[in-house]
Amino acid sequence: MTPAWRRGAVIALWAIVVAAAAGAGAMLVRTPKPVTHTVTIDGTSYKPARLAVHVGDTVVWENKDIIPHTATAKGGAFDSKMLATGATFRFIVKTKGGSDYACLYHPTMTGRIDAE
Amino acid sequence: MTHTALIIAAALAVPAAAGAQAVNDAQIASIVVTANQVDIDAGKLAAQRASKPEVKQFGQLMVTDHTGVNKAAVDLATKLKVTPQDNPTSQSLKAGGDKNIANLKTLKGAAFDKAYVDQEVAYHTAVLDAVDKTLIPNASNADLKALLVKVRPAFVAHLEHAKQIQASLGGAQK
Repeated sequence: MTPAWRRGAVIALWAIVVAAAAGAGAMLVRTPKPVTHTVTIDGTSYKPARLAVHVGDTVVWENKDIIPHTATAKGGAFDSKMLATGATFRFIVKTKGGSDYACLYHPTMTGRIDAE
Repeated sequence: MTHTALIIAAALAVPAAAGAQAVNDAQIASIVVTANQVDIDAGKLAAQRASKPEVKQFGQLMVTDHTGVNKAAVDLATKLKVTPQDNPTSQSLKAGGDKNIANLKTLKGAAFDKAYVDQEVAYHTAVLDAVDKTLIPNASNADLKALLVKVRPAFVAHLEHAKQIQASLGGAQK
């Protein structure tokens, strides 16, 4: 094997290693598979009151309380309207950022979604 | 605080002053059902007669929420085979509620709104005090105690909501 040929082979090998590493890196930063989060409404509160999600995830609010509530975003991103006992509301997160929300009927009831 | 609110607050304070064994579960069930019904009746009147939209809506909310609480209370009493037992507190609550309705029926417009909202602030304050000092501590059945704990935050929310409306109407009635 001539030195020039050997040098070429080493460079080619390194190119493959670097490309493979870059590929693995790209897989690691890929957006996670969408998941569904559940917020339970009970005792005039949201549980959990604060939720971290990713864009594409679904948030489901389920009213397990004995009185009606809403989950209404302050910025207008979503509004469940009236959720009677046993009713659910689904919202697919479309944008990054924080959304504070509250119950229109019970101002002490507040929650927040943080989307990445 | 209005005269009627004072009567209702006094009615709710009686068992607390009388000691830990003042009320049993059957009596607590009766107090809960009566306290809810008193607020439903006042709410129905406000939903019809209030002049400001927010007062009308609050009245309707009281009807909806307290009807929900009463349904849960009655369902639980039925499940536990507890017959709500009339007692001095529930009787005073009923009498105070009737007096409040009679007073509200003599009022119109802004005077009605103010009297109703002032009453709601005083009433929810008194009810929360009774829930904390009398009803929860005395409830012996775990399910009854759990129901009281579960509905308490709704009463706190009602009180805050009523205070917000009270402030928007220009503060408490003198």
